[in-house]
Amino acid sequence: MKAGDVKVCVLRIEGTNCEDEMYQAFKMVGADPEKVHLKQLTGQVSDSLKRDIEDYDILAFPGGFSAGDYVRAGAIFAARIRSAIGPQIRKFVESEKPVLGVCNGFQILVELGLLPGLDDVMSNEPTAALYTNDSARFECRPTLLRNDNRGKCIFTSEVPKGKVLMIPSAHAEGKLLSMDPKFVDRLEENDQIVFRYVGEDGKDAQYPWNPNGSPSDIAGICNPAGNVLGMMPHPERVLTRFTHPDWTRGYESEEGDGLVVFRSVMKKLL
Amino acid sequence: MSIDRLMIKRNVPFSLYDVDILSATDTELNEISSTMGLALSLDEMKTIVDYFKKEGRNPTDIELQSLGQAWSEHCCYKSSKPILKEFIFAIDHPNVLSRGDAGVMVFDDDYGYALRIESHNHPSAIEPYGGAATGIGGILRDVVCMGAQPIGLVDPLCFGPIDTKKEIPKGMKHPHYLVNGVVSGIRDYGNRVGVPTISGGFFFDERYTGNCLVNVACLGIVKRKELGVNYASGPGDVMILLGGRTGRDGIHGVTFASADLTSTSDEDSRGAVQLGDPITKEPTIHACLEVNQKGLITGMKDLGGGGLSCVVGEMSLDAGGCGADVDLEKVPLKEDGLAPWEIWVSESQERMMVTCKPENVEKVLEIFDMWDVLATPIAKTTDTKHTRLFWDGEPIFDMDLEFLTGGPVYNRPYTIPKVSTKKDEKFPDVKADNATMKAMLSDLNIASKEWAIRQYDHEVRASTVIHPMVGKMNRTGPGDASVLMPVPGRYKGLAAAVGCNPWFTAENPYNGGRACVDEACRNIVAVGARPDALTDCLNFGNPEKPERLGEFREAVRGLGELCKDMNLPIPSGNVSLYNEAPGGVGILPTPMILGCGLIDDVRKAVTADLKEEGNRFFIIGRTKDEMGASLFFRKFGGKGGDVPGVDSSYLKLMIDKMLKTMDAGLVRSCHDCSDGGLAVAAAEMCISGQIGLKMDLSGMGDMCAERKLFSESNTRWVAEVREKDVQAFKEIMGDDAVCIGKTGGDRFIVKGTGIDLSVAEIRKAWNDPIWDLMGGGWE
Repeated sequence: MKAGDVKVCVLRIEGTNCEDEMYQAFKMVGADPEKVHLKQLTGQVSDSLKRDIEDYDILAFPGGFSAGDYVRAGAIFAARIRSAIGPQIRKFVESEKPVLGVCNGFQILVELGLLPGLDDVMSNEPTAALYTNDSARFECRPTLLRNDNRGKCIFTSEVPKGKVLMIPSAHAEGKLLSMDPKFVDRLEENDQIVFRYVGEDGKDAQYPWNPNGSPSDIAGICNPAGNVLGMMPHPERVLTRFTHPDWTRGYESEEGDGLVVFRSVMKKLL
Repeated sequence: MSIDRLMIKRNVPFSLYDVDILSATDTELNEISSTMGLALSLDEMKTIVDYFKKEGRNPTDIELQSLGQAWSEHCCYKSSKPILKEFIFAIDHPNVLSRGDAGVMVFDDDYGYALRIESHNHPSAIEPYGGAATGIGGILRDVVCMGAQPIGLVDPLCFGPIDTKKEIPKGMKHPHYLVNGVVSGIRDYGNRVGVPTISGGFFFDERYTGNCLVNVACLGIVKRKELGVNYASGPGDVMILLGGRTGRDGIHGVTFASADLTSTSDEDSRGAVQLGDPITKEPTIHACLEVNQKGLITGMKDLGGGGLSCVVGEMSLDAGGCGADVDLEKVPLKEDGLAPWEIWVSESQERMMVTCKPENVEKVLEIFDMWDVLATPIAKTTDTKHTRLFWDGEPIFDMDLEFLTGGPVYNRPYTIPKVSTKKDEKFPDVKADNATMKAMLSDLNIASKEWAIRQYDHEVRASTVIHPMVGKMNRTGPGDASVLMPVPGRYKGLAAAVGCNPWFTAENPYNGGRACVDEACRNIVAVGARPDALTDCLNFGNPEKPERLGEFREAVRGLGELCKDMNLPIPSGNVSLYNEAPGGVGILPTPMILGCGLIDDVRKAVTADLKEEGNRFFIIGRTKDEMGASLFFRKFGGKGGDVPGVDSSYLKLMIDKMLKTMDAGLVRSCHDCSDGGLAVAAAEMCISGQIGLKMDLSGMGDMCAERKLFSESNTRWVAEVREKDVQAFKEIMGDDAVCIGKTGGDRFIVKGTGIDLSVAEIRKAWNDPIWDLMGGGWE
């Protein structure tokens, strides 16, 4: 498969607002992305606009405030997907095609039951939640993420374990919680923890380095198979060095820290 | 007295009155104006009587309401137009691509950038959350209807001091409540529509306690070949109303904005505040840009002040003198039972109008359907120069557009204000020491605004190159301009920065107006960009008071003359008058400037945080004995003094020289000297760089240290230069740059004064005050 043959579905509804940069991210690694409205997958449009999820190789859920997030973040988008194309989505994931959810996209993946996916590829009910930040505020700030994945996640295959990346956060609900008291242990056992927030010394993150109070500093997780990644911080906002918040203080590479996420998944597909 | 006898209900199955103005007495005309909420003067009412005499009939209520909207200060600029014409409109520039609802300037060979600022003051004073949110909504539409993708929001705000203990004027709300509401409104709207809030400003003063200012600006990017217009192509176009439904919210918004606030504004005018819905707006933006890109429409305009009554007339009249026939009953409503006049003037949010050729209507509707955005053809343009309205075929409105939109223009009397001078200066008995330094940094106008800035998403769209806060991660300080890289794959940058000094403008309006422009330019140059264009929001008091109009005229003259000298166009702007608290306490005269600049390669941009130890520290420009209206005087009880002036040729020269040093990569960090002067600028660079600085001001001449440190003379910067680059830097700057220090260590020291503080201490003094008042600080 050539990079240009990798078709990426950047899925959106009203209120999705990070689709342009998500599109750009896949473009920069040579893929063939397309911004697709959910109605195009569910057939509520004229024939020329209809699309089939099966025709895509990667599915990406960008950030934003889908449908306004006036109920739980991501819940409305997830409910619409589940009711219209739930089985196709399950099939997409079961065939181990990559699925990425960033910020609101992560919230949608959790609402859809695709993450954490501990007991089933796609659970009927959400088994975790991205809860209101400890600060009770929207937080737009740079965050440092350490790759803690031992090799399962296909979106970090090109990131050495333990490497710290600067990937910015911007959300009001990013604290990953579950009713399961062994939640973090189980994620750890399955190698599902991908990114953790770290402090400037590379160690445990206090606020604001952990911007939401997420237990165990978890910023992003994958499913047990490693093909679905959800993360709160935005790799698509740091594709070049020059959107890093502190690049004027010096840098080694003109590549932004976020691009490697997209390079990694492409490497796995090609 | 009652005007009931003059209101004659027409026998139709909806609410419509003929208003018998032809037989009304002067007193009754006044009564009609006030009862119907028209806010028209007796003379204006008489002009209307003359028109209908010639027509040989009385107007309907909807016709009178339409005139009330069109002739409001907000819509027709009747008090300000002659002054704007004299000083602002005359500035011509070949790079202006459009002066439509937003101005559009050349960005590069393929793209233009759009800019526009406006006020949402009165609504925000009544209902801060909704007022601010709908302010964002409105300014976004102005940019979208040029065919431009919105790429950045800028929100300069003025309030009473958050911690004021003084009595709040009756009917007004405490600044703490207003600040919270306004910031939340901007956050929830801006973040939801996915447009980054990249810059802004907070101005705190007792004189804003009774009338806060909420100014909102938006930048956009548009392919030059897709640049849109705000009018139809000629007769026979179909007008399609898009987006939100029409309701009773936002009725008489423009007339409310064109009068002083009163102690009962809260109850009387709550209905004038619109309700925002970003999740209708967000897909509306997508769909509007798509129909424009596909060439399916002929024009686009947003429904703002005056609602349909303004947009229908303007879109047809500007199409080479067309008119329009409107089927008003087709307008989708939020609720049943609205009278035609309410539908016609409602300012319900999230609505746009597009015009298109009849053969493209279906294609346009299909795109809006895809985004689930309501789109309804409601009118068509005609060759009559008349607007005619029908309700199920019944004619209810027929007016000559030239008369309707040709509102009155007044040359109102004004008096030139007395200005503050050195002659009556009283210098405060305060020394440059640690307590003074900390007090300056803790002033609410200087202190960290991080509490607000981090609630706004300033990075969405992934094009923010220079952020509103700069420096070490989670130890950032204030920046100058923010910079965007709006076209993916291109390093060309667009810089944006606010310039405004209401205190200067109050003490010397002419110099104040000029200082606002100088500050915007300084901020843009401080990041390495070249000032390119401005948009201005002129917030002043009641123009019917000669001294207020005098302030307005002098400030506009100052900024207009400077822009003309600098060849800086002002392709868009907004005037907000009648900013007065109950009891006639005026706001500080506030000419709010948003400056835009261009930088060819953002990789050469510079930020304000000190970068390394052992570098030289320079002051650039002339520090003069100009203490009038300075923060130092305001804080410590100084009086009088010269208000800083601007020498346009010197500003031009300094811009050229500074940009030359930056282009050559000689400047490690740079910050403009504004509020608090050199002292505050230098301290802020330590705060964001987490590096100390030792200064020796002896090279700056003979003034006392307090004047050197706290004078707010214009056209000045401070800059950090590596030892190895000092020679090259000096060759370009000559005597205009004086070395006054060296970076390093962890203390902020000014030799020969009592200032010797650790960086941690100055950071704390600067960082904590607003966090402490609003809650949530962590350092």
